[in-house]
Amino acid sequence: MSARPLLRIHALSKIFSGIPVVDRVDLNVMQSEIVMIVGPSGAGKSTLLRCVNRIETPSEGDILLDGVNMAGEIRNGRLVPDRPTVTARKRRHIGMVFQRFNLFTHLTALDNVAIGPRRVLGMKLADARALAAEQLARVKLSDHAMKKPVQLSGGQQQRVAIARAMAMKPVLMLFDEPTSALDPELVGEVLEVIRALAEDGMTMLVVTHEMQFAREVGTRVLFMDEGRVLEDASPKEFFHAPQHTRSKEFLRRLHAVME
Amino acid sequence: MDGFDWGAIAYAVPYMLQGALVTLEISVLAMLLATVIGLVMGLISASDYSVLKAIIRAYVYFVRGTPALVQIFLIYFALPRIGLELSSFWSGVVALAFNSAGFIAEIMRAGLQSIDHGQTEAALSIGMTNRQSILFILLPQSLRRITPPLTNELITLVKSSSLLSVISVTELTRSAQVIIAERFVPFELYAELAVYYLVIISVLSWFSEFVEKRLA
Repeated sequence: MSARPLLRIHALSKIFSGIPVVDRVDLNVMQSEIVMIVGPSGAGKSTLLRCVNRIETPSEGDILLDGVNMAGEIRNGRLVPDRPTVTARKRRHIGMVFQRFNLFTHLTALDNVAIGPRRVLGMKLADARALAAEQLARVKLSDHAMKKPVQLSGGQQQRVAIARAMAMKPVLMLFDEPTSALDPELVGEVLEVIRALAEDGMTMLVVTHEMQFAREVGTRVLFMDEGRVLEDASPKEFFHAPQHTRSKEFLRRLHAVME
Repeated sequence: MDGFDWGAIAYAVPYMLQGALVTLEISVLAMLLATVIGLVMGLISASDYSVLKAIIRAYVYFVRGTPALVQIFLIYFALPRIGLELSSFWSGVVALAFNSAGFIAEIMRAGLQSIDHGQTEAALSIGMTNRQSILFILLPQSLRRITPPLTNELITLVKSSSLLSVISVTELTRSAQVIIAERFVPFELYAELAVYYLVIISVLSWFSEFVEKRLA
């Protein structure tokens, strides 16, 4: 493990029509850290995540993955923005899992996973499918490889989506509320898969409302509100002794809902 | 019906079959050209090549804003001026394709844009470029959606081919008009003409339904 952070976020802001949805966020993530991002809706959690792989273009600030600036190259002290194809190449190393799965509706589960290695990495179809089969086995969906997304449950779809991201061999995984669109009885199987990835040492940022999960699997919890990171602590500290009034309020409301 | 001239109808059948053949040839050639050019233009419209997009927008603006008949005359008289001596048959093919491709480009663009944006985000997230996401993700999903409006457009193309009678292409409509001038039986012949078009377009609709089912 290197001493240098795998992911460095410096003074990141995203401004939508004058409103800073993400407001000057700094964050360093070391290899194998599991960073749980929690907070009320509208706090900017998802936008922060989407800025990391530039699905959303940041308004200000820098993001460095393994020392490489995601926005462009520094030449003579100035940032020269990347061409779109270069951005696409940098994005490969970051996997993303969406709240609404976003599986490719016209492809089978197997080809959803295989299409990245096939089209982006240029693997032969047979090799890409073999790799995809391996990834599907990891999320325990080998029996469903030939099904289209509509034939799968939400939990199964989300596991395929995780396999799709993992097939690109990312160094960082982003989970954007991966269980929020699921029926309650399907949440467990998806969290199980994410937990297994965490145990294998995958570095990840997880936006979630599953506090139990955040406490058990996270190595670090960020609390965000109004675009700012108000708290950055170990799960133990955050859940037992929150520092900020807003995070105390947030946790109190959650407990009230659960009881 | 009193005085309905069945004889004229029978007399016209072989001539109109010949005309129908010309209509079919022109329509099929124009359809192929229009579909290929239109789909490519639609794909570009959904991409981020801004200069090409602007050119396509201007083209679509012109095609939508002027009657097909005027476009046919323009192409028929304009092509020789730029040194392209085409027969009236090929002028007709070019004119129909020119007209239809504009509408097909719009159908394709709308089809691509109707696909949930999450599909594009997922494609980008696994490292696809914008072009790859259009080709491998959006295009296959939009093909089925655009089949019905595309069929409508191709039906319009077949009907518009009747306008080519004005640049003396002896297609179906003109072959009927020739016999009308000869025998002076306009009602019978136009009725017969309608049946010919109905048959051609029915085949086209049937084929489109078949394609739509295959793409399901």
